[in-house]
Amino acid sequence: MRKYAVVYRSVLMENIQYAANIAMGFFNYFVFIFIFIKLWEYMYRTPGELIAGYTKEQMIWYVMMTEMILFGSNAGSVAGEAAGDIRSGNIAYLINKPYHYTLYLLTKYTGEWSIRLPMYAALAAVIGRVMVGPVPGFRLTAVWAMALCVILGLTINAVFKLCISLISFWIEDATPFQWLYDKLILVVGVIFPVEIFPKTLQPLFKLTPIYTVCYGPAKLIVDFSREKCLEILAAQLLYLAAGGGLMFLIYRKGAKKLYVNGG
Amino acid sequence: MSTAVKNQLRVCLLSVQYNIMREMVNKVTFLTSVGFMVLNNAAILAQWFILLRLREDVGGYTMREIMLLWGLTAASFGLAHILFARAFSLPELIIGGKLDAYLVQPKNVLVSVITSSTSVSAIGDFLYGILLMGLCGLGLREWLLALLFTVTGTVIFTAFALLLGSVSFWFLRMDMLEGQVVMGMVSFATYPDGIFEGVSRYLLYFVVPVGMAVYDPVHVLVSFDAAMLLRVLGYAVLLTAVSAAAFYRGLRRYASGSLMGARV
Repeated sequence: MRKYAVVYRSVLMENIQYAANIAMGFFNYFVFIFIFIKLWEYMYRTPGELIAGYTKEQMIWYVMMTEMILFGSNAGSVAGEAAGDIRSGNIAYLINKPYHYTLYLLTKYTGEWSIRLPMYAALAAVIGRVMVGPVPGFRLTAVWAMALCVILGLTINAVFKLCISLISFWIEDATPFQWLYDKLILVVGVIFPVEIFPKTLQPLFKLTPIYTVCYGPAKLIVDFSREKCLEILAAQLLYLAAGGGLMFLIYRKGAKKLYVNGG
Repeated sequence: MSTAVKNQLRVCLLSVQYNIMREMVNKVTFLTSVGFMVLNNAAILAQWFILLRLREDVGGYTMREIMLLWGLTAASFGLAHILFARAFSLPELIIGGKLDAYLVQPKNVLVSVITSSTSVSAIGDFLYGILLMGLCGLGLREWLLALLFTVTGTVIFTAFALLLGSVSFWFLRMDMLEGQVVMGMVSFATYPDGIFEGVSRYLLYFVVPVGMAVYDPVHVLVSFDAAMLLRVLGYAVLLTAVSAAAFYRGLRRYASGSLMGARV
């Protein structure tokens, strides 16, 4: 574990140096949130109206939290690095290092979001307070549980994105598959809560990673309940175990068929 | 003069043709990129089915107008990245001192630079845009207008990216800002202008030119307005002139890098 701690610490220090660069990404986050504030202001025509059981404030905070998880974790970078290493052949140098390649990437990813996520959380809190108002019924005492769900959610997301990147062992470019996964997460979990979809589809969506990656953590922030928290944590642990197992399996099979070009 | 223009156009088309041929070396990857980009874009339509289930219209747009909006945005953004992809990564060339190779070519520097790369996935964007507009049941006159607006949209997207990218001649670290503003522009372009009011609406027409690239064209397609059409055409010409002037003005300040490299 010590070697991973060293990797984590070095990535953390590196990211602290580039905090200003991370802040440059605030512009796009603000644009997304601004659009959704305007969109939901248009959709909610009467004060106190409920859509899929959410008030206007809850709906906007939901989107702000899901976008915060995606922007604050930037799982695309870890996926891109894995795909790039495999495509370029750099994996041949990394595969025999004294660490597991996928765990090394996940550790780097953790070091990155350790700086990014708090920055985006602070930005979201400021934008939310100024443009929307406080989260209705927010429970400060439950922040630790919300934080745990957010961390598990973004780790599950990275594990699944890594699984997709590892397909590059077989096909040259797995990026198009990443697009589809990202779009599924975006449309079904980020923009809308699961409750907004037809009732027949909701149980199906709850079985997908969407439930654990963004819906669960964001739902807890806008509408916390102890039972829901336990349900989401249990689902996340199951997903993490299954996703982790799948990641190790794909990596082992892929590494076996690795073809190294000379030169 | 006309021979020079013809030659320049021929060089542009050959440049784009060779860019695409280079990307097509691996046919499976090429087709997967294009096909999945079409699917990727199509998935977002689900968002509008959901929203239009809640209300009859969103910002005054029904499904047909939403499809026109998405069709025009995707086709314009796609065509801009097929023909002029390098305009969207200009700061990388300026900061890295990689413009030298273009300066010694016996053709127009700006055109040579911006046509020097092609984004494969943009072909998927372009096809999706055309397909979506095809599903809107456009008549012949509307089709001609839609194609014209695809061209003006392409010009506005490219010129705006070029203008922002040219700022790198004066200020470093503009690369991130250019990418962010252009993506922000695309984000705005995929939502109806009816949901924006006041200052934000003004900004979308005159600062970030989404209104001229997409919103006004959609309004003209829905209900023909000659004045609006002329405004879009005039704006496209003006923005192109301003961004080209900014590029050449900045080029005077360009100091070559000491980077050794080969362009293949």
